[in-house]
Amino acid sequence: MEETRVVQGTWDISTFKFRIEGVGLRRMLDGMKEGKLVGTRCHKCGTVYLPGPFYCRKCHIEINEPTEVSDHGEIMTYTIGYADVRGNPLDEPRIAPVVKLDGCDSWIMGVLQGVKPEDVHVGMRVKVQWAEERTGSLQDMAYYVPE
Amino acid sequence: MRNVGIVGIGYTPVFVSKRKDVNISEMISEAVEAAFSNTGLGPKDIDAVVFGNMHTFEGVNLPHLWAADYIASLGKPLMRIATGGTTGMSAFHAGYYHIASGLHDVVMVVTYEKQSEGDSQVGLMGIITPEVMAMIAAGIDVTGGSGMGAIGGGSAGGISFQASSYLHHSGAGIEHIDEQAALERRNAAKNPYAHLKDPDATAEKVAQTPLVSWPIRFGHICPTSDGATVAILASEKAAARITEKAAWVHAVANCASDATTANLIESQITDPAEHLPAIIASRQAYERAGIADPKKEIDYVEIYNGFAHQALMYLEKIGMCEVGEAHKLQEAGELEMSGRMPVNASGGVVSTNAIGTSAMNRVTECALQILGQAGEHQVEKDVHKAVAHGWGGMMQYVTITVLGDKPKKD
Amino acid sequence: MDINVAIVGYRMQSAPDLVTSRERLVFELTRGLFDDLGIERTDVDTTILDSNDFMDGRTISNVFIDPPAGVYMRDESKVEMDAANAVIYACMRILTGQYDTAMVVGIALTGSQASPYLYIEYTLNPTYERQVKLLNEVNAAAFQARSYIDRFGYSERLLDDIAALSLANAALNPNQARRISGITADKVAASAMYYEPLRELHCYPPTDGGCALLLASERKAKELTDKPVWIKGMGMSTETYYLGERKLYQSSSAAEAAQRAYELAGVKKPAQEIDVAEISALFAHQEPLLAEAMGLMGEGKAEQAYAAGETAIGGKLPINPSGGALGAHPVSVTGLMRVAEAARQLRGEAGDNQVKKAELAVVHGQDGVCAQQNAVLVLGI
Repeated sequence: MEETRVVQGTWDISTFKFRIEGVGLRRMLDGMKEGKLVGTRCHKCGTVYLPGPFYCRKCHIEINEPTEVSDHGEIMTYTIGYADVRGNPLDEPRIAPVVKLDGCDSWIMGVLQGVKPEDVHVGMRVKVQWAEERTGSLQDMAYYVPE
Repeated sequence: MRNVGIVGIGYTPVFVSKRKDVNISEMISEAVEAAFSNTGLGPKDIDAVVFGNMHTFEGVNLPHLWAADYIASLGKPLMRIATGGTTGMSAFHAGYYHIASGLHDVVMVVTYEKQSEGDSQVGLMGIITPEVMAMIAAGIDVTGGSGMGAIGGGSAGGISFQASSYLHHSGAGIEHIDEQAALERRNAAKNPYAHLKDPDATAEKVAQTPLVSWPIRFGHICPTSDGATVAILASEKAAARITEKAAWVHAVANCASDATTANLIESQITDPAEHLPAIIASRQAYERAGIADPKKEIDYVEIYNGFAHQALMYLEKIGMCEVGEAHKLQEAGELEMSGRMPVNASGGVVSTNAIGTSAMNRVTECALQILGQAGEHQVEKDVHKAVAHGWGGMMQYVTITVLGDKPKKD
Repeated sequence: MDINVAIVGYRMQSAPDLVTSRERLVFELTRGLFDDLGIERTDVDTTILDSNDFMDGRTISNVFIDPPAGVYMRDESKVEMDAANAVIYACMRILTGQYDTAMVVGIALTGSQASPYLYIEYTLNPTYERQVKLLNEVNAAAFQARSYIDRFGYSERLLDDIAALSLANAALNPNQARRISGITADKVAASAMYYEPLRELHCYPPTDGGCALLLASERKAKELTDKPVWIKGMGMSTETYYLGERKLYQSSSAAEAAQRAYELAGVKKPAQEIDVAEISALFAHQEPLLAEAMGLMGEGKAEQAYAAGETAIGGKLPINPSGGALGAHPVSVTGLMRVAEAARQLRGEAGDNQVKKAELAVVHGQDGVCAQQNAVLVLGI
């Protein structure tokens, strides 16, 4: 079969200007500076989101009630990474749990340290290890460690 | 509601990594031609066309406009549907509603993907580009090394969370995922339209492929394929003119939840282990189809498994067995072509993934089994009823189609 | 066949920049719609979303707008073309009897987020037109405009008159984005030339916008509203991608789509029977061109019709009393906004834009370069 010619095309994402909701994220980052996790609670059904969206998924109403969430929680699921996002092998396998923090209905990913890959399990209790110097960045929550 | 039957199916001659000899529109037209030659129908017999693919993957916006001349749609209604990985089945459902509504009699559904012409990783990242940019501004570590929200698992992160959760809740082991991948690649070897084929695949061979993100190995992951699939649907009256035997739609259903790969802009409340959308959509489909016990009444299953564990996991979620039972059925050989509950005799998505076609092929493969036209990959048992499953979006969207060998009775 | 599906409520919004996120826009439209009707999200049986990945700059652009639309653990699908087609799909779903209510939600941040001209560039054949870079949406429309006015010997002044009428209507309409007070044909003629004969004010403005609509079965419609607007007919059609193979001064696919819609609605003489038309004319010349294809205006009669004010709000057959797409064009939402504007007329809620006797309306939406694809609906009370 005769091969066709290849011509280049692009999809230039830089032509887009995105607006995204930032209230919940800002509230969480401000709290993290103080070593606290602040989410948003639905005043109708009580669902607690971290970071908080501006509406409740279940009730379909606007919400805006700041609520502090514990920095202790439980591993819902996890994976152990052997390659980075580009597919290059990592020097050390990396444990990445999905954690449901106490008093919170949404869940958050992160990195788990202080435990061997073979010892991690679903249901394991963990807590947030805060960075020594906090600046209101996602790096303030450095990683999870076993409780 | 009017009954709708699948009266014709057309695939591109092959599903492979790179079709260098045709452009997008030319490749799609091959599947259209195949459907016409399989049915003896022509453009004048088609009332309307439904079209689906994931257009950011190739960077062609609304490709049905360019392809219009190649898919017998001139002078006809042409509807474009897009729901992500499930697009193929969502387009099929739209074709079904065109006829069930009473508005049309013969409808052609056209799906394709030519993944070699784009960048699938960029396409997938495109789902959350603005959120990722905001998270970078908030200090996230994109290499996944530290901090809140870090995707430590890398590229297969989100899926690995799902797989590890499945293993925990079912009691299955990574060896069962290995075996499922091997089983489906062996099946693929018997399907002329499959991409990755290995007649001698074994769990041991799959286990030798490197771990990407535990428990997902390279050997568990689907390829990226080029290919197109066409289905021709007809009302009961029109079907009688076209064919002696059709595969009949008994129910369609779908369900969306919130996105289930946690990111820090849209926090998720859906439990990744529970898969409520799959449970809701399948229960609704069985109810619409008048199926009281899917385990007893359904003979064949096609699961959308871009990753090998999903065949096992979704079998449980869509009620084909109890939680923790799928891997035991696998051990007993029941999931194979000769088994009592054959799954993905086609080789599944883990063997062939031209995304726009992938959820559609689950339906067409169920139809081929019902019609007894699956050739070498025809399962041993008689297939009277079959269920096809698709998942898409960010694992938050599920589509279900139930087919039967006779029109559904009211 | 009788369709017996009604529009029971609508919400719409547009502006050059709505200064909002997609999620908030969708939430506000749907929350407003539910409040109007006194329902909750669980009362919506199925939802058809309409957004475009290339407009949103995202793959699978419905993922994050499902929940703010109230679609959480609910039935949903997405149409990716002009949202007039999404209304047709939603209507099909109700016609099966499987659903009693179906919501259609379309959004596009065309004004603030993305370039509509780039959007069209990406629809072109990547192996030819995109490589030679000669064709774009506006110069293609200019080919069409030239072909149309020369065919019938019209002067370019006709384009100014059409645009001035549309923009004057738009100025009265709070749902519109481009509202210019004291607009005249002379002001249109003085706007910047884009591609001869098309000037800035002959062309749609890139705008943000969104629209949410609830459809219901006959039984449910009577529960939800005492002002149902019935969908009486609908049709779609497509023509060749290749401009060189089309007669650009006509629209065969709009004619076919209209014919299908009229047949279902039992409309025999559209120019006499239809009271009001809402047409997605993205460029001034497309309004009479499409009106001709839809049997609302005689071929070659455009100059006469506009001079006599036949298409004005008080005229014989008002076309785009809302101001049409020259007032706002959130790409792919425009056809849905035409549906909502027609419903607004038929319910007598159109305020300064209200047409006197509005009982039967025809609505149009389009996709592609020079309206390659068209959808037409007939609505009535």
